[in-house]
Amino acid sequence: MGALVPGWPVAVALFSIGLFGCLTQRNIAKTIISVNIMGLGAIILFISANHLPDNAPPLASGAAAGIADPLPQALMITAIVIGISVTAVQLALLIRVVRRYGTADWSLIVKRLQR
Amino acid sequence: MIPLYVLVFVPVVLGALGYFVPRRIFYWSLLVVQTAQTAAAAEVFLRVRSSGPFTEHLGRWPVAIGIALQADILSTVMVLLSAALFLAYLLYNAQDHYTDNMFLFLFMFAQTVIVALFLSNDVFNLYVLLELSMIIVTVLIMYKKGYQSFYDGMLFIMMNSFGMTFMLFGIGFLYRITGVLDFTALPGAIAAVADRRLLAVPYTLIMTSVAMKAALFPLFSWLPRAHGAPSAPSVVSAMLSGIVVKVGVFLLLRFRELFFPVFQADHFFFVIAFLTATAGFLLALCQNDIKLILAYHTISQVGLIVMGLTAGNDYAYWGGVYHIVNHAFFKGLLFLTAGVIIEEYGTRDYTQIRGVFRRMPLIGAASVMGVLGITGAPFFNGSISKYLIQQGLAGDFREAALLLVNLGTIVSFVKYSSILPFHQGGRLSRLVGLWQTIGIKAATREVAGRKSEQLSQNRTVEGVVSLALGGICLAGGIAGAAFISVLFRVDLNVDGAFFLSKTLIFLITFATGILIYRFLIVPAKPLLVRVQSTAFTFNDIALGVTVFCTTLGLYLVMTS
Repeated sequence: MGALVPGWPVAVALFSIGLFGCLTQRNIAKTIISVNIMGLGAIILFISANHLPDNAPPLASGAAAGIADPLPQALMITAIVIGISVTAVQLALLIRVVRRYGTADWSLIVKRLQR
Repeated sequence: MIPLYVLVFVPVVLGALGYFVPRRIFYWSLLVVQTAQTAAAAEVFLRVRSSGPFTEHLGRWPVAIGIALQADILSTVMVLLSAALFLAYLLYNAQDHYTDNMFLFLFMFAQTVIVALFLSNDVFNLYVLLELSMIIVTVLIMYKKGYQSFYDGMLFIMMNSFGMTFMLFGIGFLYRITGVLDFTALPGAIAAVADRRLLAVPYTLIMTSVAMKAALFPLFSWLPRAHGAPSAPSVVSAMLSGIVVKVGVFLLLRFRELFFPVFQADHFFFVIAFLTATAGFLLALCQNDIKLILAYHTISQVGLIVMGLTAGNDYAYWGGVYHIVNHAFFKGLLFLTAGVIIEEYGTRDYTQIRGVFRRMPLIGAASVMGVLGITGAPFFNGSISKYLIQQGLAGDFREAALLLVNLGTIVSFVKYSSILPFHQGGRLSRLVGLWQTIGIKAATREVAGRKSEQLSQNRTVEGVVSLALGGICLAGGIAGAAFISVLFRVDLNVDGAFFLSKTLIFLITFATGILIYRFLIVPAKPLLVRVQSTAFTFNDIALGVTVFCTTLGLYLVMTS
């Protein structure tokens, strides 16, 4: 296991893109997308762990050798489900926020609340 | 022999079933079950105390493959603490109108998640549970649907899901490097890693998100918005400040312990904790909203706790751990009483609230106990834990840092206490005249429109629950050493002579605090108002998280 195998550069790139979005985007919808891209980076990082090109999917085929590591796949299906649920809550909230304050811009909302 | 998973699942199962029965039946069965839950938590705690920590594998999977729950002395104390506090919150809620079935269900669900977080033995499970707690807390803090509530909820959930991606990313690296995610198997796997510098990546990422959960220095700006949210019922605020933020501190401890053979960032975290404590009380001084004063105070106290934990000394460490327990009681108490006060006066502005004592003697007395506890007055629990931390730091320049933090706590609680005294001209006003002339002269105007005789509701239940919590604060102070030895099996030598000098120091600090408040803080009000109105957007907070993460990474590179 030790060394990092390829797959992680893609993950780091996606994470950084998402992070950039979180730092620069003022639109709430875009920050939600950015956080999702960061999560995607983490998912790719997991999925590519211990991966070898000729690995078979971990289905019930009987053979123990040459099977891809099943644990990351099991964990990531959970992470994806969680990501979807959290995004759903965030989007639902976004609708309420826009209806109430009339904008989806973080800094404008702060200004409106201070008035 | 009560299995651990019972403690985890009973609250949520009952909450889900009770949702379909009338509220009265639901509430009373919750009270019964919560009492049983507290007893069960006590049983598990006593078992761990007598026969040592144990791990329970769910589904009979072998070690490190299946999901496991572990119970050690610290986690069972936290479970017992949260069970007892949830019982107090439920009792407090007896007469409240907003606690419909949905609220009770979410409240119980939150308890399940908290207990599971304390007992979980798997890093990925921690991630899942933290995400779950985030969603529940988001709904709970918006429960009253005030004008600000949707922004508060939006900021909270975005902030936290942003922080949690750091954790997931870190866990991914941890898995790639070590191949296991189980707390039992991880220490061995970490020790076997050839190139230890690789571990800096998961360590930095995980610690950043955990520090955000614990509300450390640049990452705390979500906390007052959540804990002091106008639309959050006071019992939710009490739960957040009492227990949920402690989950962050608890995880900080666990990950610190896990990575301890490789990285010791205690100095870094001590400095961060000191900054947290200082920033917390400075910002608390700027607030007018009593719930926000308390919320910023939580930050300050978390800083104090982490200072104790990372001081590298046994006394300070156990002082910090004991302060986790103490803070849960007195801050919970203060939030609960603040909730009653806000409802009674119909305002959250401290300048508009006067004479709590006369209108609600029970609530007033309980508030005083809470304030005495948090400021570390002699005979209250705060004094014992602060004393232990101080003794751990004795003879060091860091002791001065601790005294400064305590002074700040006292100054901001002089401000908070100005809501308590009697009205001017009241029968007993001469007794508290000293308070009013020295400390609170700036704001003795009588609240317009409301006469003190108009007691709108009977507040006996809330008062009794608050007083009971106050009693625990007092008991935790008088029998402090005994409490610590019972709870943590640690015998600390609480020196009598030192205790006297501690009392003296407290009195001196208290007097200084009142003087500082009167002559420095009151005149500086325009400046404070300006600080109070600065608000951070999501982008600023994200920048803070990134800066924290980078700084921690650089610190590791430089020291190792």
